Amino acid sequence: MGKSIAAFASVESWRRALAEQWGEEPADFERRLELLERFCAFAGRDPDAMIAECTREVESGKRIRIKARRLYSEKIAEFQESAGGDARARARAGNIIRSFFIHNGIFMQAGLSQ
Amino acid sequence: MEFKEVVGRRRSIRFFDPDKPVEREKIQTILETARLASCAVNAHWLRAIVVQRDELPKEKLKQLKTPVAALTLDLAPVHIYFFCDLGTVNRIKGSRLKEQVDVGAMAPTHGWSHKFVDEFVYPQLLEPMTKNREGYLAVAMPDCGGAAHMALLAAFDEGLGACLNTPNPALTTKVFGVPQDWVSLWVMLVGYPSESWEAGGQRPRPPFEELYFEGEYGRPFRRDPAVVERLKAAKMIQDPAPLSGRREEIRRLAEQYGLPE
Repeated sequence: MGKSIAAFASVESWRRALAEQWGEEPADFERRLELLERFCAFAGRDPDAMIAECTREVESGKRIRIKARRLYSEKIAEFQESAGGDARARARAGNIIRSFFIHNGIFMQAGLSQ
Repeated sequence: MEFKEVVGRRRSIRFFDPDKPVEREKIQTILETARLASCAVNAHWLRAIVVQRDELPKEKLKQLKTPVAALTLDLAPVHIYFFCDLGTVNRIKGSRLKEQVDVGAMAPTHGWSHKFVDEFVYPQLLEPMTKNREGYLAVAMPDCGGAAHMALLAAFDEGLGACLNTPNPALTTKVFGVPQDWVSLWVMLVGYPSESWEAGGQRPRPPFEELYFEGEYGRPFRRDPAVVERLKAAKMIQDPAPLSGRREEIRRLAEQYGLPE
């Protein structure tokens, strides 16, 4: 990627949005960054490029690219399966990546994993 | 529960206990309530298909999921799909309107008679209305909405949680094989809430005076604070969201169900 993962605008947006949503920055943010970095390597894209791929500008504003969102949803599911640990740990890894997309305005839902 | 409290407790529930089934009699009560809703020309356009999530083949459940309602469809044990049956007016041809005359709900005091329905209302108003789909929907849909919202209140009166979502109309009509003149409306997700019944508090609403007017447009209906206090005492107007502890509650639910934060 050539620069630190924390330096990407979408990562900074994610960090700020998490702090606003929950009233504090997550204590394990470094761990989340590591996971996002692994996901970026898995997807072969940097964080800003992934978010940019999921949106497009039209005259009336921003639109979500459904196909790109679906592609990343599937990639997250694949990543989750290969993340290691038990089912709960794997789901948590997938959800950290979903959280990155969600807080950058890309609507995404996880399946139910109990 | 008193009516005002039912209104006050209703809010869109999005966290359901996926493993707690809903008693059949409670589902019937919800449907019985919808059936008693007010409806123009007594047509009753609303139809419902009740689905037990766990009895629906997995492939069909997957088909019905939309990007915004995938999770709630997984969580809610009961899904009630609402449709508008546009064929009803031309099947009943004013007969249910005449029933209203027969039982004295609509009387000659207000100009009603069988002859008026047979010679004027059906052939000159209702039947032509069905030929203009846009105009017809504008008549039928509000009544379906009213009935569905009565059903929604009934769910809360039964101690359940519920939420209306808009499904993909092409998929619902295909999955359930409904007649061509049924229009897909909403899916009401029903179950026992796994969030607290307050669900973070009563949701924000626009100011009263911005919505309602008196006599003419631009003259807000004066909101009497004494009435507001009475409604608070009756638990219709409740503490507004966000209640303290809501963030923690969402975090707990996210942890419980393995959801993103």
